[in-house]
Amino acid sequence: MSERLLAWRGHAWLALAARVYLAVVFIAACWHKLLDPAMFALDIATYQILPLALVNGLAIVLPWVELVAGVLLLVGWRTRAAATLVAGMMVVFIIAILLALRAGLNMSCGCFASQGAVEDPISGLTVLRDLGWLALAVYVMIVDRRPLGVDRWWWRRRAAEP
Amino acid sequence: MRRVSRAPDAWPRALLDAALITAGCALVALGVNALRADGIPLVAAQAYEILVPCPETSGEVDTVAPTDPALGASTTLLVDARAPEAYAAWHLPGARSVPYDYLEPVCSVRLREVASSGAQRVVVYGDGEDPDSGEQLGRELSGKGIRNVGFVVGGAPALRVARGEEAP
Repeated sequence: MSERLLAWRGHAWLALAARVYLAVVFIAACWHKLLDPAMFALDIATYQILPLALVNGLAIVLPWVELVAGVLLLVGWRTRAAATLVAGMMVVFIIAILLALRAGLNMSCGCFASQGAVEDPISGLTVLRDLGWLALAVYVMIVDRRPLGVDRWWWRRRAAEP
Repeated sequence: MRRVSRAPDAWPRALLDAALITAGCALVALGVNALRADGIPLVAAQAYEILVPCPETSGEVDTVAPTDPALGASTTLLVDARAPEAYAAWHLPGARSVPYDYLEPVCSVRLREVASSGAQRVVVYGDGEDPDSGEQLGRELSGKGIRNVGFVVGGAPALRVARGEEAP
């Protein structure tokens, strides 16, 4: 990607919209997991991918990473790090859903609520949705060089120092 | 003279920040989990009981009488839906074992074997109970695109009676 294309100022505003959207998605997604880690652990176990020893640990830690990444994207602090975390989580989620689909599991993704497969079954559309969010996160990672928010304020403050 | 400041979002810094954020989140998460009344153990003591919906059994199937001569036709693929032990104890000559599980869908390998058999008709027989595993498997196979699927009414017990063999 050329430097000229990356230097376009409109990227900051487009990325801001993407960041706010991703932040809302991730904060909404982490909520039920924070409230009920036991149910989220069951959701993770249903994928039948992780060994039992790692299921609870992931159920405890992942919602907090989602929450913090979402808040950081929202306020624009450590934006690239937050976008990297979001992109990494999306890659992991996509792989997990693809493996579950390949195994023929008829289940909910557990993304926004621990509901049954009847209400929210995983499908190719779930993968497409997650790929869309991954694309937004990658856009923020690569193109949003001067994120609107705390990062920009901080950078300008540092640059103005004598 | 103005000092040139590095942008706070340079790649190495961003990756380091991501690692530090994750580590910080892990510490906070473990601390909160330890303090909350409904916290869960870091390692589960026993395997989770995973409940998944029964597989879709929505396909159309024909009924086949236990005495139907088509059961012995070379163009018919016979499928035994019962458990492997029951199959080992008795099965129709030439029948393939595809055990039906009410909780798990038929594995893709078995499905491909049936689909690639070249048979003009697939006849499934099960345990003959209510619900009959043969009918359920037949509907699942049909629902997954396999054509001309039928099931033997009464399942294996009816077949043994029709053949003059003693029922198990």
